[in-house]
Amino acid sequence: MRFVVRRLGFFAVTVWAAISLNFMIPRLMPGNPAQVLVAEHPHLNPQALHSLLALLGGTTHQSLPSQYATYWEHVATFNFGISLTTSFGKSVDAMVYQALPWTLGLVGITTLLAFILGTFIGLISAWRRGTWLDSALPPIFVVTSAFPYFWMALLSIYIFSVTLGWFPSEHPYNIFTDSPNLNWHYVGDVLDHAVLPAFTILITAIGGWILTMRNNVITVLSDDYVRMARAKGLKPWRIMWHYAGKNAILPNLTGFAMSLGFIVSGAILVEYVFDYPGVGSLLLQSVNDLDYPLMQALFLLITMAVLLSVLAADVLTAVLDPRTREQS
Amino acid sequence: MTTTRWARRLTVFGSAIAATAMLATGIATATAGAATRTADTATGTLNIADEWGFSWPCQFNPFNANDFYFSFGPVYEELAYVDSINRGAVTPWLATAWTWSNGNKTLTFTIRKGVTWSDGQPFSAADVVFTFNLLKKNPALDLNADWSVLNSVVAKGADQVAFNFKAPSVSYFYYIADQTPIVPEHIWSTVKNPATFQDPHPIGTGGYVLSACSGANQRFTANPHYWQPGLPKIETVNFPSYLSNNAANQDLTSGVDQWGSQFIPNINKVYISKDPKYYHYWFAPVYSVALWPNLKNPILSDLAVRQAMAYGINRPLVGKIGEYGEEPGANQTDVVTPTFSSWYDSSLAAKYGNAYAYNPSKAISILEADGYKKGSNGIFAKNGKQLSFTIINNAGFSDWVSAVNVIQSELKAVGIQVTPDNLSGSTYSTDVSDGKFQLAYQWDTGGPTPYYELRQLLYSANTAPVGSPASSNYERYSSKSTDALLGDYVATTSSAVQHQLVDKLEQVMLSQVPVIPVTEQVDWYQYDTQHIAGWVTASNPYAQPGQYVTPDWGVVLLHLYYK
Repeated sequence: MRFVVRRLGFFAVTVWAAISLNFMIPRLMPGNPAQVLVAEHPHLNPQALHSLLALLGGTTHQSLPSQYATYWEHVATFNFGISLTTSFGKSVDAMVYQALPWTLGLVGITTLLAFILGTFIGLISAWRRGTWLDSALPPIFVVTSAFPYFWMALLSIYIFSVTLGWFPSEHPYNIFTDSPNLNWHYVGDVLDHAVLPAFTILITAIGGWILTMRNNVITVLSDDYVRMARAKGLKPWRIMWHYAGKNAILPNLTGFAMSLGFIVSGAILVEYVFDYPGVGSLLLQSVNDLDYPLMQALFLLITMAVLLSVLAADVLTAVLDPRTREQS
Repeated sequence: MTTTRWARRLTVFGSAIAATAMLATGIATATAGAATRTADTATGTLNIADEWGFSWPCQFNPFNANDFYFSFGPVYEELAYVDSINRGAVTPWLATAWTWSNGNKTLTFTIRKGVTWSDGQPFSAADVVFTFNLLKKNPALDLNADWSVLNSVVAKGADQVAFNFKAPSVSYFYYIADQTPIVPEHIWSTVKNPATFQDPHPIGTGGYVLSACSGANQRFTANPHYWQPGLPKIETVNFPSYLSNNAANQDLTSGVDQWGSQFIPNINKVYISKDPKYYHYWFAPVYSVALWPNLKNPILSDLAVRQAMAYGINRPLVGKIGEYGEEPGANQTDVVTPTFSSWYDSSLAAKYGNAYAYNPSKAISILEADGYKKGSNGIFAKNGKQLSFTIINNAGFSDWVSAVNVIQSELKAVGIQVTPDNLSGSTYSTDVSDGKFQLAYQWDTGGPTPYYELRQLLYSANTAPVGSPASSNYERYSSKSTDALLGDYVATTSSAVQHQLVDKLEQVMLSQVPVIPVTEQVDWYQYDTQHIAGWVTASNPYAQPGQYVTPDWGVVLLHLYYK
């Protein structure tokens, strides 16, 4: 219990610091959105611009402390105002809600897949050490993981889209013929368009899981309780799953919980290359345009997701592994 | 991402419509698209490739600085269309006629009859009066600062509208008639806050209506009740959102999209070679990209130094290396050729070394005559001061970065050292407008004649002290006699007099070298003639072909048809 309270206290302090930093950092950056607007539209009368920014809730002439107070109010009510530059006048919340499902769907599912597949391959290859499986799969995936995302993405577009023509190379669905609605045709179209980006993320993310799982299993296999299990004559698959696998998966599980937090930030490069309208693309655009309200909403979303998943990882480990609960 | 949407923003111009009398024969064959037919004569689908880098907001307020591109042209229309790349030819549009009176201080439009809004309501002169007074009441909507020169806009009789100006303002015809979209009073008068109005279902007089919008695609469908008989010929226009340049180029080269406004590196190999029979491009120069000296800098205020730089830069080579040969070199008069060739005073240019054509030995002799001596490092110096400058540039435009690298090595060869300082977009634009630079690489914006660009460069009211933002005269040039020339131009409607005045302005550019034009910015434009005809070409420049040019892209759509 004390452990959970301590964790929660620490979590609260971190959240406060993160939210405050999220407020400060954009304001310390050079330039301001008004200047971006002027640069984009030189004819716009500067006074008109200021009145417009004030109208939209742009905080151009409010003192810093009062901006900070307003900011907290907005955070508490999930109201992040209106985009100032990226999509002038559009509600930031709406933009984030529009982008989030694409990212959660693509990056979320591929992260989960990468974790499951990677852990499984790691387990098997450790169990069958020295077989062709062990000498082929881990090295291959470790190599593919070393490739940068975008390079892999461009390569897969070149091979599977341009040359072979198997999969579409861009957009979340066929935007010319299809429009979002709930029918099988649309769902199939979305899946078809998700294949290449998902493949790219999967192939570059899986190596890490394989490597850690394999090494963990190898360490665990030499432990006495595994030898004991063998001596008892248990079936090999039972030893693999229940003795070796269960114990070896702990570090991977922590890593997985933490990686969940990064799902919402999207895979910026993958989304950019595949023209996928997720959070990563939105983040890139908001930073390019110095769109404070949008940036703040996105950074806050990402920070909160990471903090929550770190908290979850802590609690999960504590539940699964009694050793971490006590101070040695 | 060589050009961003910002990089490609410019203002527009219009053209002669010619309402081509070809009948769509109905062979359609859309490459994609399952929209239903709305007009009997309109067939087929056109897809656009123009990377904007964000998902569509589905907002169409034609007075929103970010959104007006999406509705002004196909949906909302202008009073008269001005074709900037065809000698500023003017075509009557929502107005059928106009006259200047009262010493060129009053402009009276006669408004077209028989036009309806796409919701069936009749269009009238009252809508025009309403639109301009809407801008007056809401300065945030007045994107072209119409009311900086206007006194009043009033209805005159049943079908006329009089614009009263504070002073003779002939050049403002372009902004009033061509650059201001007309909106329906019966809709906009009920809008509580026009500045934040999103206008998700725009009602205009144009050839197209918005039929669907999502973050990924804006779809426009032919307006069956359009006032120009038989137009438009293309039934459906898809305008997908592309987040990256390569995705848009991919759809363009594979033939999914037929109209491109893309920067394509090495275009002959990447695009044309994929289907040389049908794939074409035309890059019409529209305004200059220039090297701007800060005239408040004590060394750069020396004319000889600026002249040496002007002679020392091989402009065509900068375009060839920095811009993949897709932008031509500019000339020192700042008159963009061939677009404005009729304004270019070649005999005058000849007196100034063919408008400062590349001549490194001349550059060196000018500096030597001015008392400069080469130091041991090969850099000229006078009174202990070296010709060594930093040049600020927009790091986001990779083509500009390589262009400046070419300039750097060329100037080095004539004993002038420049060091590029590539800044982030917002820092860069702030520093440029505040005059916080020694040299800057930056563009101007154009208009239907070279006057518009020259005025932005040279008019003293467009500048400001160093530290305050200047609207366009970033080099801080100021001359009473030049101001007088610029003022005379807007007081006359005589083309001959206007030509004489522009000649004198060219002389200012040649003799005083206030800025050094380096390359000519072009309209990015690619087109596929396999199924669709009616495209803008060099021999038929009826509109600016860049998809991002308003209201021109509406004019282009009206000319296209299925073969």
